[in-house]
Amino acid sequence: MQHLKLLANDNRGLNELENGTGLVGWNEVTQGSILPSFEGDATNIAHLKSEERTYSGYNSYTATVASWRVLKPVYNRDICIDCQNCWVWCPDSSILSRDKQMLGIDYDHCKGCSVCVEVCPTNPKSLIMFSEQTLLEDALTQWPEKKKKEDK
Amino acid sequence: MAEKYDLQEREVWDGNFAASQALRQAQVDVVAAYPITPSTPIVENYGSYVANGYIDGEFVMVESEHGAMSGCVGASAAGGRVATATSSQGFALMTEVLYQASGMRLPIVLTVVNRALASPLNVRGDHSDMYLGRDSGWIQLDCFNAQEAYDMTLCAFKIGENHDVRLPVMVHQDGFITSHTAQNVYPLRDEVAYGFVGEFKPVDDMLDFSRPVTYGAQTEEDWHFEHKARQHKALMDSRSIIDDVLAQFKEISGREYKRVESYMMEDAEVAIVALGTTVETCIVAARELRKEEGIKAGVVAPRCFRPFPFDKIRDALGNVKAIACLDRSSPGGAMGALFNEVSAAIYTTDARPLVTNFVYGLGGRDFSIAEAKRIFKEQKAHADAGKITTDIQQFSGLRGPHLGFFQTKRS
Amino acid sequence: MAATSIKNLKEFSTSNDRFEGAHTLCPGCAHSMIVRELMNCTDDNLVIATNTGCLEVSTAVYPFTSWDTSWIHIGFENAATAAAGAEAMYKARKRKGSLKDNDAPVKFVAFGGDGSTYDIGFQWLSGAVERGHDFTYICLDNENYANTGGQRSSATPIGATTTTAQAGSHSYGKKEKKKDMIAIMAAHGAPYVAQLAPNKWKSMAKGFQKALETEGPCFINTVSACCTEWKFDPKDTIGITDLATDSLIFPIYEIIDGHELNILYRPKNVIKVEDYLAAQGRYKHLFKPEYKHIIELIQKDVDDKWNMLQRREEARI
Repeated sequence: MQHLKLLANDNRGLNELENGTGLVGWNEVTQGSILPSFEGDATNIAHLKSEERTYSGYNSYTATVASWRVLKPVYNRDICIDCQNCWVWCPDSSILSRDKQMLGIDYDHCKGCSVCVEVCPTNPKSLIMFSEQTLLEDALTQWPEKKKKEDK
Repeated sequence: MAEKYDLQEREVWDGNFAASQALRQAQVDVVAAYPITPSTPIVENYGSYVANGYIDGEFVMVESEHGAMSGCVGASAAGGRVATATSSQGFALMTEVLYQASGMRLPIVLTVVNRALASPLNVRGDHSDMYLGRDSGWIQLDCFNAQEAYDMTLCAFKIGENHDVRLPVMVHQDGFITSHTAQNVYPLRDEVAYGFVGEFKPVDDMLDFSRPVTYGAQTEEDWHFEHKARQHKALMDSRSIIDDVLAQFKEISGREYKRVESYMMEDAEVAIVALGTTVETCIVAARELRKEEGIKAGVVAPRCFRPFPFDKIRDALGNVKAIACLDRSSPGGAMGALFNEVSAAIYTTDARPLVTNFVYGLGGRDFSIAEAKRIFKEQKAHADAGKITTDIQQFSGLRGPHLGFFQTKRS
Repeated sequence: MAATSIKNLKEFSTSNDRFEGAHTLCPGCAHSMIVRELMNCTDDNLVIATNTGCLEVSTAVYPFTSWDTSWIHIGFENAATAAAGAEAMYKARKRKGSLKDNDAPVKFVAFGGDGSTYDIGFQWLSGAVERGHDFTYICLDNENYANTGGQRSSATPIGATTTTAQAGSHSYGKKEKKKDMIAIMAAHGAPYVAQLAPNKWKSMAKGFQKALETEGPCFINTVSACCTEWKFDPKDTIGITDLATDSLIFPIYEIIDGHELNILYRPKNVIKVEDYLAAQGRYKHLFKPEYKHIIELIQKDVDDKWNMLQRREEARI
């Protein structure tokens, strides 16, 4: 079972979208409403994984859309074949893969669209939608059996 | 490395050529432009300097003025020196992007050769386009002749690019009267001019990938107001930096400029406030009236139209009795903008002189010394009567019956 | 990710995201699939300009940006010109040596929806391509003004209902056929023009890489299924896109140097356009008997287009 904050940088999903790090006065907003994505030198950003980066408080990485979800995808490692379909088609950059292995879900940025479940080719699926309130360990105990061909 | 351009101590240049020479000397990196009369020669000349190696820059001839300013915004955000030129309809077409340039705090220099706005179509000079830009968040400098078009264009880079300013700057000159009239211009040597303007120092540079930045974010009701307030503050605060830059320019050129220019105002009883080439016409009229009729006439001219020099206008006009504000733009159902703004400034003084408004010179209609004298004399009559004896707004130099609006209201 | 390394999806999944989550695009939106794939298929520095539209209003809402690279939005129409201006400045500064890193490769990309590409930004795009700027323009084609609530654009297909071309008792929706932007951009002589789709991720990644590596202006029309305005369940974004490419409503092909046409995807089993249309609420009314002829017309147009593309490919001209 994955840890909820799998591969999370310290400031992932900290802020609500509306206010950011706080509604500041006119003298503190950035000049020209320009937003720097990172703190410090970001020269090699394409070569750094998210957990190795220093995201600024203006990067949406530090915000969360978890409250948009009604259903959440739960990941079952035992069935997954690491095809990475879910990774390439996730519209919210929320599939956490490292070294060609699928590891889990970024629950700060997942909106619960179910695309990952739809594109999952295993039988039974390695990703299934559960209600937001369901605990991950409970979800894993409710996993369906392999479907026979005629059931499809 | 750019080729050496030979300059004489005194050149005979029109305003367009003068402005383009300032672009060359400032070594503008990118000009994105679209042709329109009467400003076209400015960018044609830049293109010719590029073609002949006098400048190492990129000349991007786009498909519209909207595209021209869009290209300038992209180029400026990419961290270099940017300029372009336009007039009239072209100015109107780029208006959307003017607001975006200033909102993103990009120090683009736009040389505007003032021309009337259609309809009806007209290629001659009036200030409709300059007035259209007055709420766009740009600094607007106004020139009265070719020498000033050269001088102010150089100053514009130094003002806008100052890191405490970071705002785009328009340099206005009158269509044809300035832009196409050859006059004596005393240029600075290339190294002096470039030394004055200085190297471009980028901020929030899109080509600095050690610090990626997002330009042009969306701000709704929780944030927009604060951003616009900060931008307005920057524009207001630019006043002292403009003063500094003009003072530094005097040191290298010997030519003195102020945010508000005053002529013969030391003892003036009546004054005209005007913009553009009309200022020089009014100076001649005032000088002659003083000699011929002993009328203590003076002229006040905002060199800096935006930020509006509320403070300096008040200083300049605090001691006169009657003022005529001349607006060379059809006011569209209101009093002229210069009248409104000057009136607001002097309303906060104890003197509260009498102020009237003249709409004149639309579409390049000539404004003569004789007409300027007539207006001065009318002010003298108001001063002597202690009240406004005419309509408050009048059209000057118009054929047909008298056209005027509003009288003083007394209880 | 470097151009040579995308052999399969596992390889590709080792690339690092430069498009971050917690943007506010609708759940299931294909825009972000396309944008993320573009950014993950190269390691080069990117300057990205974006027209006003769903992508822009959802990825740079103060105080947050979802972009891990230089990004600019000016207006609805001018992303191509913003990219062109930045590219011109890059050339000027590179010559002068005033860049922070004068050797690092930089790629210029502009994104626009179909509204800003086919309609309001058409002139700006055409100008930038004609001038030969070294940039890639990617249209996220969801066939309507989704950001303003689903109005018709010139990319909306015949028969679709939109809020400004409505189906009703006297109307089958939009009366006009979709503008062929791919042909128009190819006619500009752009060195690389393509239509790609996110369900065919590999041809899309390859197409993106080709465009980024090609010197000069490249144009790519991408199919971006819009659950909100096409009216389907967000989970089905890829499924709908499969129907779009397998019915040949959206053929996947490229045109090199304005003439050399290559088909990049040939469905093993071509499905009827009816199956594609039936999966979306925006075409629901076409299944009334009186509008059967519109479905037939769409099928005929798709067949004719496919024949034309195949003949163009064979002819090698």
